[in-house]
Amino acid sequence: MSKFQQIEFYKNKKKEYSLLPFRFEPLSGNNYAVTNLAGEYLTIPRDELENLVKHKLDSSSPHYVNLRAKHFLTDDKTQIAKELLSIKLRTKYSVLSEFTGLHIFVVSLRCEHSCPYCQVSRQSDDKVKFDMSTEIADKSIDLALRSPSKNIKIEFQGGEPLLNFPLIKYIVEAVKCRARDKNLSFVIATNLALINDEIINFCKEHEILISTSLDGPKDIHNANRPRQGGNSYEKAVEGIQLVRAHLGIDAVSALMTTTQNSLGRVQEIIDEYLKYSFTGVFLRPLSPYGFALKTKTYAAYDAEKWHEFYLEGLEYIIDLNRRGVKFREYYTSTILTKMFTSHEPGYVDLMSPSGIGIGAIVYNYDGLVYASDESRMLAEMGDTTFELGNVLKNSYEDIFLNPKLLDPIEDSFAYSVPMCNDCAFETYCGADPVFHHGRYKDFIGRKPESEFCNRNMKIFKYVIERMESDKFVKKLFMSWAQPNA
Amino acid sequence: MEVNLIFDATVYSSDAIKKAAYRSINRFAVNIAKDGNDIKCSLTFKDSATEIQIKSYIDEFKKEVLDQDLRELIKKETEGVRNLILAHTFSKTGLIKDE
Amino acid sequence: MLKLHGNAISYDVNLSQRRLFILTRKAGLPKTMKAKYAFLLDNNMNYEEGYGAYISFDEVKNTGIKNHFHLPIEMNYLAEGDVIKIEPSGGINSLFRKNSSHNTILLTEQCNHYCLMCSQPPKNIDDSWLMDDTMELLELIPRETVNIGFSGGEPTLYGYRFVELINKAKLMLPNTSIDVLSNGRAFSDLIFTAKYAAINHPNCVIGIPIYSDDPVRHDYVVQAEGAFDETIRGILNLKKYQQKVEIRIVIHKQTIGRLVQTCEFIARNLLFVDHVALMGLEMMGFTRANLDQLWIDPFEYKDILSEAVDVLNSYGINTSVYNHQLCVVNDDVLPNYKKSISDWKNEYVDQCNLCIKKSECGGFFSSSKLHRYSDHIKAII
Repeated sequence: MSKFQQIEFYKNKKKEYSLLPFRFEPLSGNNYAVTNLAGEYLTIPRDELENLVKHKLDSSSPHYVNLRAKHFLTDDKTQIAKELLSIKLRTKYSVLSEFTGLHIFVVSLRCEHSCPYCQVSRQSDDKVKFDMSTEIADKSIDLALRSPSKNIKIEFQGGEPLLNFPLIKYIVEAVKCRARDKNLSFVIATNLALINDEIINFCKEHEILISTSLDGPKDIHNANRPRQGGNSYEKAVEGIQLVRAHLGIDAVSALMTTTQNSLGRVQEIIDEYLKYSFTGVFLRPLSPYGFALKTKTYAAYDAEKWHEFYLEGLEYIIDLNRRGVKFREYYTSTILTKMFTSHEPGYVDLMSPSGIGIGAIVYNYDGLVYASDESRMLAEMGDTTFELGNVLKNSYEDIFLNPKLLDPIEDSFAYSVPMCNDCAFETYCGADPVFHHGRYKDFIGRKPESEFCNRNMKIFKYVIERMESDKFVKKLFMSWAQPNA
Repeated sequence: MEVNLIFDATVYSSDAIKKAAYRSINRFAVNIAKDGNDIKCSLTFKDSATEIQIKSYIDEFKKEVLDQDLRELIKKETEGVRNLILAHTFSKTGLIKDE
Repeated sequence: MLKLHGNAISYDVNLSQRRLFILTRKAGLPKTMKAKYAFLLDNNMNYEEGYGAYISFDEVKNTGIKNHFHLPIEMNYLAEGDVIKIEPSGGINSLFRKNSSHNTILLTEQCNHYCLMCSQPPKNIDDSWLMDDTMELLELIPRETVNIGFSGGEPTLYGYRFVELINKAKLMLPNTSIDVLSNGRAFSDLIFTAKYAAINHPNCVIGIPIYSDDPVRHDYVVQAEGAFDETIRGILNLKKYQQKVEIRIVIHKQTIGRLVQTCEFIARNLLFVDHVALMGLEMMGFTRANLDQLWIDPFEYKDILSEAVDVLNSYGINTSVYNHQLCVVNDDVLPNYKKSISDWKNEYVDQCNLCIKKSECGGFFSSSKLHRYSDHIKAII
């Protein structure tokens, strides 16, 4: 029918196109990753990239159509890209206005474990010296409830927080009483060695979740986490099962800490998590301060070795999924959420602007307030750069408008930092001024030398190349990316 | 070990070269000097660097300079529209329900 | 396929203009109500005075009853509560069927698109009497009706009359949900969208097609320059005012190539849409004329369909697959598979006789059965 036009009729009338803001990084071979303003990526060979930038890319190139559809360029066919990019960015940044969601209460510094990688705990029975008082708890609660965030998550940490269980009860009841129009959630980060029926019943009544440590099979776990009796593993596993029996299978989550003992044994660690029906594992890098640095265990722990550990773990998990076992890796998932959605996962270390203060805040047992968990650890080593005030002496404004908080946030904002501001992966990455300060003595470090940068860059490139070469992995990773999965 | 490279200042901006140098900071130190139409770079490698590594680092550096040049082109062309989009992102003109 | 239009034979007509009637068998209705109804005569032609019209099927003889219309036998599906239109000349249209869960009302055949696969080819004539009919129809549709649809052509070409229509639907049928089929472009006008939104209808969904993430491809399929941008802008505006939007994609050779990318585009840019409908090709209207460019056997694209559905499901977007047979889709789309989009079009072919899944399967459009369907239809046993 001559009434219908051919597709040629609808193609661009003019050959010219305009670039939209985008960045690029080399992958392996001749391939490059390009990312648009909202962090969506494509891969493209270098020569096509150069053609694109120099306005030599032809509209018949298969890359052209993808680049236009994914908002890397506009032409006379479509102008809607700017509006769509704006909306996507707005969604990404909208979490900032929520402000502090995670409030960490360090209810006691006492602990009956003596883990070599721990920065903070005290082997002590001195409750007066090392437990948080109700006065400090009250003031901390006041500050926490000042947060504009609709969703407040309160996490009890230590030492071993169950050693001060009475205060946990006090805080939970007080918060529930005083909080109006807030969605509250509570978590206790505990080694579970001291869990009992009373605690379980309280958790059940108030829907409190448990976060515990499971470093791997018994020998790794117990080597990492010594306690009197040498039974940290047995206690943890017992505790997990007890909690699940009363509070449900999802009531307890587990984190692992990577140490020299863990390296080379990632499959066994993952198998351990599978054994206890966990649906995923967080392959965390070791934080480079505290006892770890003091005892030089950090020097032995090589970033390169960790990367191998991580890759082996990730590949093993991919393979498990291929065989029908649903299991995921959480660090990768956090990155994938930033790659595939406009949702901000809220993981403090991978936020820019930095998540310190904005995402999380720490109220220490002694009333001091820290910008993040890592900030508190740094203070234990004598560096109080990120100590923001005292709940007994300072107001909300004193603490949250403290230049000690605002300066590192501003200075480390990745968008403005050398190399980060050109980096294609900036939207997937974070600022982490605390890490950089602890390691390199300034909020930014020099990114080419920064272990934080190296580690993350390697992961970003790996993840992209893996997805581009394997459809199954792309599908799997896209499912990991979803925030509510 | 020191190596000297010369870039044509009419082709490459010193910014591009500085940025490429910055990215290579973990591999070598760079001293940059302008001399008429030349930009002279002297690269100083660690003692531990092997000849193969040095060659690879130099190749990478040259590629990086080309990449930085490309980035400059992108930035020049897209600075305006980037600011427009960001302004719209942070404005209060109600694209999302809470405005 | 039901015959919706017919010509009746009548002997004694005193209708001065076209009239809409509700069909009923109920005798003894109050005098004040009777005139709205067309009485369905039984075999004995028992007659009671005062009704607006009288209907019987097939048998034609002069009964002496005024406004007695003898309808063709194919229209004897008409039943209690249905609404018909009668022209003085004897033309009969079924406008609304009470037993159907999918009453779709045609508002106009005018359209500003010319889709390659249009099942209702546009006519550039003034058919605004369709809108007049519909405005009256809204007063006759039973209040307990669950859902009605408005389609065209392009309903929004009526401009503010369209807004009035939706508003009247809200007023007359407050508990009835509405599905509007539209290309969405009128909503690129923010003021128009605001007026529409001001109706504040509790459950009205605008179903808008996006055929590709590539504007060239989309504009080509709908045969309209600049359609893509305006459609997207329309969707964004509707969402600015929190109105419900469904995205529809008809799958054929011109849209299958970028189906997955299109779904990724929807997931990244239009995550807030209320529903996505992926639909099989209907063999009506322009489709047959453009069959060479459009036809692809669904069996050949079933893996792409699976991938596309998986993307949408991953992002948590409500997604349904319509108008495909169970034997030509992969099992992984079954959670999204819907038996039917319209109940008056379901048919089956010989291969289906022994199929154990027949009752769960949507079957075929009558037009597909007649003209073209998959070469891979096979009973599931």
